[in-house]
Amino acid sequence: MTAIISVENLSISYRVPGGNLRALRDVSLSVARGEVLGIMGESGCGKSTLAAAMINLLPTGARISAGAVRLAGTDMLRLSPEDQRRLRGRSVAMVFQDPMTAFNPVLTIGRQLADFAGAHDPARAAPAALAAMLGRVGIPDPQRCLDRYPHELSGGMRQRVAIAAALLMQPDVLIADEPTTALDVTMEAQIIHLLRDLRSSFDGAIVIVTHHLGVIAELCDRVAVMYAGQVVEEGPVDSLFHDPRHPYTRALLACDPAVVDPASGRLPAIGGRIPDLTALPEGCAFAPRCGMAQPACASPVPRHHPGPGRSVLCHGAGP
Amino acid sequence: MKTVLDLRDVSVDLPLGGFLSRARLPILLDVSLGIAAGESVALVGESGSGKTTLARAVMGLQPISRGTMSLDDQPLSTAADFTRMRRQAAMMFQDATASLSPRLTVGYLITEPFRIHGQPLADPETTARDLLAMVGLPPAIAGRYPHELSGGQARRIGVARALALKPRLLIADEPTAGLDVSVQAEVLNLLSDLRRDMGLAYLIITHNLALVRHVADRVVVLYLGRVVEQGPTAQVFAKPAHPYTASLIAAEPKPDPRQRRADLAIRGEVPSVLRRPSGCEFHARCPLARDLCRRVAPALASTGPGRMARCHFAVTTQQEQGEEHAVEN
Repeated sequence: MTAIISVENLSISYRVPGGNLRALRDVSLSVARGEVLGIMGESGCGKSTLAAAMINLLPTGARISAGAVRLAGTDMLRLSPEDQRRLRGRSVAMVFQDPMTAFNPVLTIGRQLADFAGAHDPARAAPAALAAMLGRVGIPDPQRCLDRYPHELSGGMRQRVAIAAALLMQPDVLIADEPTTALDVTMEAQIIHLLRDLRSSFDGAIVIVTHHLGVIAELCDRVAVMYAGQVVEEGPVDSLFHDPRHPYTRALLACDPAVVDPASGRLPAIGGRIPDLTALPEGCAFAPRCGMAQPACASPVPRHHPGPGRSVLCHGAGP
Repeated sequence: MKTVLDLRDVSVDLPLGGFLSRARLPILLDVSLGIAAGESVALVGESGSGKTTLARAVMGLQPISRGTMSLDDQPLSTAADFTRMRRQAAMMFQDATASLSPRLTVGYLITEPFRIHGQPLADPETTARDLLAMVGLPPAIAGRYPHELSGGQARRIGVARALALKPRLLIADEPTAGLDVSVQAEVLNLLSDLRRDMGLAYLIITHNLALVRHVADRVVVLYLGRVVEQGPTAQVFAKPAHPYTASLIAAEPKPDPRQRRADLAIRGEVPSVLRRPSGCEFHARCPLARDLCRRVAPALASTGPGRMARCHFAVTTQQEQGEEHAVEN
């Protein structure tokens, strides 16, 4: 499979009082057409910086110290601002966690969708085309929905409209940042279902950023686990969930209340906190919280490849 | 066990239409609920089911239109009742950081409940240190401001404030929403330790079923302001009596790619309280709905020891697995 978007050895830092905050360190990832990639990890591990880099919406303070984000071969991070704006949305579109904040509250849904769609091709802004897209994402009465305002829709419906808005751009890559976190379990299940249906009809790649392991397991083909700005483990969803190799992945999977037997009384927690990203150690960043840390973990960590499509950044994962 | 919180047929309705109109919109209908000392009860349901309205009613923030409420056998109806009750019952809010004033230090914030209730402290520093220790935070944190705290720390401060006056009941609204799984585990473990050590009773409001399984002895399921099922948590999860409960459990994404659901557990959305469906209010979304369900509203009836469900075809626990039994109406 050829990659539609690839992140190559990307390192990004932010200038903060007291130093350089290293948000991403040597991240490499790629997604192929028709594939769903999940990015998981705790808050502050670099998931959102990575998503922002992929849609080229990095905050102004961000400094790209190395690497590239290639979309069909073009390095997006080094385009002129006008070219970036032209590509954004058309090639890569994004769905945010809270769809309420993504819409303008004083304009109707129809008017806003027409703005999105018409920005690239006026023909796509025709009401019939907009209604057809709303129907495709499961809005029951698309024609009426066009005349409504965002606050008149439920959270689940707003998220469907946000997905429709993204798809109207006919992007090659759809990035969804915590797409179900603000929803009830019933609406979450419906959005997961919708995204799963879309992958077969939409000829692009989907990237899901979430800390909800259930969403990853239900939806993704491949998973990248991030810790302190690095991809510490990557692999097909089945082998990563059933045979995790990195101690951080194992700990994350083990402390999900959904997998722990309630009779056990206590939930396993990962002690400690993520390290200070302005003063990272030379060795493994997870070592201070890791139950299997060895003296060797203080030295630079090698990347091992324990199986097809898998990679693990851990001293203990070697042959 | 002694009942701490007792709600009988509590109903809440809101005025509808112009100010001369006497129409009322029912939000909660005849909710009865008891919580014993040391017991943890979870209130679950989708947005709009009335979970938060019920919590607000218990705290005296939302007047009730019918029914009675009591805390430790003391009635809760007048403003004076609620002022007294707020010393014995505390609330933990969903957005922990937003519930803390950004201009005050942690040390001041966690001793604030004593000031609000007119109980001067001889040694606020020691009290602050003790409260921080109780929720597993180092004393140095007393000098910090809310924006300097992590999500898990802010949540712990919320717990410390709620417990400062040694309440009998803690009402927690989505206690782990927005937290990473690792931090979520810490907060849940803290809640179970405090229950064991202090004999606290909990009313936990959430739509996170994984959380319910871990922290609640009993679960109460609300749909459009009515209790549709209640019973011991382990039994309800093992064998839900109401199809709505069964759909909620089935809709939960499983953290195992080998257990993906091919079909949708539940279609549609919660109907508007302005247009309540006829008969059983769940019938439009129910996979088992029959003609009877569209015409006749079912009553909340016993389906087994300690269990109730509001369904014509509720699964009863005395019967063989999988058999349906029509409850007399």
